[in-house]
Amino acid sequence: MAELICEERTIREINADIRRLLKEGEAITVRSPGARHNLGVALLASGEVVFDGSVGYYCAGLMDGATVRIKGSAGWGLAESMLSGEVIVEGNAGNSAGAAIRGGALVVQGDSGARTGVSMKNGLIIVSGSCGYMSGFMGQGGKMIIGGDTAEAFGDSMYETICFVGGEIADLGNDAILAESSDEDKQFLDTSLARYLPASLRANLPDAAGFKKVVSGRKLWNFKKSEWKTWEQAL
Amino acid sequence: MSESSSPPRALQQSGIFSSRVIEDIQTKAESGIYQIRGYGTLRERRWATFDDLTFLPCSLTRIPLEGYREKCSTKTVLGTRFAEKPIELDIPIMITGMSWGALSYNAKVALAKGASEIGSSNTTGDGGMLAAEREHSKTLIYEVLPSRYGINVHHMQMSDGIELTIGQGAKPGTGGLLLETKVSDAISKQRELPVGVDQRSPARHPDMLGPDDMVIKIEELREATNWQVPIFVKLGASRVYDDVKLAAKAGADVVVVDGMEGGTGASPAIFQDHTGIPTLAAVCEARAALEDMGLYGKVQLIIAGGIRDGVDAAKAMALGADAIYIGTAALIALNCNRPLYVDDYHKLGTEPHFCHHCHTGQCPVGVTTQDPELMKRLPIDEAAERVTNLLRAMTLEIQMLARSCGKSDVHHLEPEDMAALTPEASVICKVPLAGTRRVWGS
Repeated sequence: MAELICEERTIREINADIRRLLKEGEAITVRSPGARHNLGVALLASGEVVFDGSVGYYCAGLMDGATVRIKGSAGWGLAESMLSGEVIVEGNAGNSAGAAIRGGALVVQGDSGARTGVSMKNGLIIVSGSCGYMSGFMGQGGKMIIGGDTAEAFGDSMYETICFVGGEIADLGNDAILAESSDEDKQFLDTSLARYLPASLRANLPDAAGFKKVVSGRKLWNFKKSEWKTWEQAL
Repeated sequence: MSESSSPPRALQQSGIFSSRVIEDIQTKAESGIYQIRGYGTLRERRWATFDDLTFLPCSLTRIPLEGYREKCSTKTVLGTRFAEKPIELDIPIMITGMSWGALSYNAKVALAKGASEIGSSNTTGDGGMLAAEREHSKTLIYEVLPSRYGINVHHMQMSDGIELTIGQGAKPGTGGLLLETKVSDAISKQRELPVGVDQRSPARHPDMLGPDDMVIKIEELREATNWQVPIFVKLGASRVYDDVKLAAKAGADVVVVDGMEGGTGASPAIFQDHTGIPTLAAVCEARAALEDMGLYGKVQLIIAGGIRDGVDAAKAMALGADAIYIGTAALIALNCNRPLYVDDYHKLGTEPHFCHHCHTGQCPVGVTTQDPELMKRLPIDEAAERVTNLLRAMTLEIQMLARSCGKSDVHHLEPEDMAALTPEASVICKVPLAGTRRVWGS
């Protein structure tokens, strides 16, 4: 296990070292991250990176393949645009956690802020606690599991993201609807939660049957067909 | 005298409720929704444009270069502020970002090949990078847009520059549209969307809001590309002076300002016609912002929005632009609005030279369509050659004007090389009104 100390080093130096050590096959612990921004951006090799404290904006952003654990909380845009890999936050995550991810898994053991999973295209997001305003906005694909409550406008304007909520939904967003969970959904919940959350956190959640399923009502997918001819001939 | 022999009555139409307004109202009364179309503003021009300026070539006060002979450099370097590998182009005219989706595959590849042939650059667009456009682009700018369709860090690392797009001249403050006929199987797969949806892109980036966040975002993009390539910030022209200052302060290497004459594949018509400020005004505000920060010449400025020819480009450069993006002009070079397949224009209810029906996906000449049969009407190599030719001709036009003004480098053009033809242009551009020695408004 290699150790990196962040103090008195630039982000560029820290990230370069992380990438070099990952390529060399080392597991890495990054000490004193100090909530600095852009730690662990563009990690493109498999391997484990542990941040021993809180991180700032865009930690593990634009990542493909690594496994990142944050022993603290994270700022905005955690794991944004991730292609594959795993990011686990032991604390809370700020706004836009998992924005635009195209794969991989993001796990927030605490709460997450507004727009969690915004524009996610694929992959999995699990928030053990609650999530903020407009989470799931414009979700295109993948799955999002919220163990606790959601704030207003949950799942607004989604395409094909499927969400599960263990707590209360303050308000569904535009075109978001409740749907019946299938046996396959329940099995997916059991498997995912068992894989990514420790037993102590799972104990706070309902069983799979107690989760509400939220999907797109698909009414915003298209303008009304009757109007199409109008636009074909538009001025 | 019988009634039939009386002179015809002079018909008088309302200046407010013109035929166009009546048709617009009645269309909306049928559909209950705003109108959508492509191309760009259709407003009759009542604002100051580059046509309101004229060059003042040398006579006795300055000495011209030989117009067709002497060297006049067009080399253009972008991203000298922080990037380790600034972009070097042979000419100052570049191809702006237009998505594969809005444009056909053939159009995207033709633009890449055509631009590369003459040492220019190409830009990706909403929806990510096409492998073929990377293959055929000597210099490729990768756009990072609010939708993040197709976002891929590996593609970013293969690019020569990153453009963080905040807005677009045709529709600042809102996202783009791609209507159902263009969300084909291939586009659906590329953008990870259901086939046949009317795709409405977001206006805001998913993970940043204001300029303070953008400072961090730009650093993230630099980290993702190992500080090698320039970071552009593209703005739709609205509050240009303040926005350019904020973008430069946030760490942009290059600021792109796209004026209200800019084009689009599909947007609400009202945005194209009634939002943003004209390109002429935008370039002046952008230059002033950089000058006031002491960054003019250090942060490069690219101007876009309705640039038609080398004359527009030369005037924009004289006012402060380091380089010029073209979009619609390049599509017209491809064949947009050319009188071919005229029956298919008629099916759309339009005529060649009047078509702005990019949003329908039924482009008669294969430029803005995903229909494989229509796309075949645009052979890539022939289309690429026309793009190269247009870029070459525009560059020659800029060089001719520069030489006549005594410049051995097109980047040496300056406001003093021009006079205004209208008081408005004089006020905006701070150049004297022709026939006077006075800069109006100063």
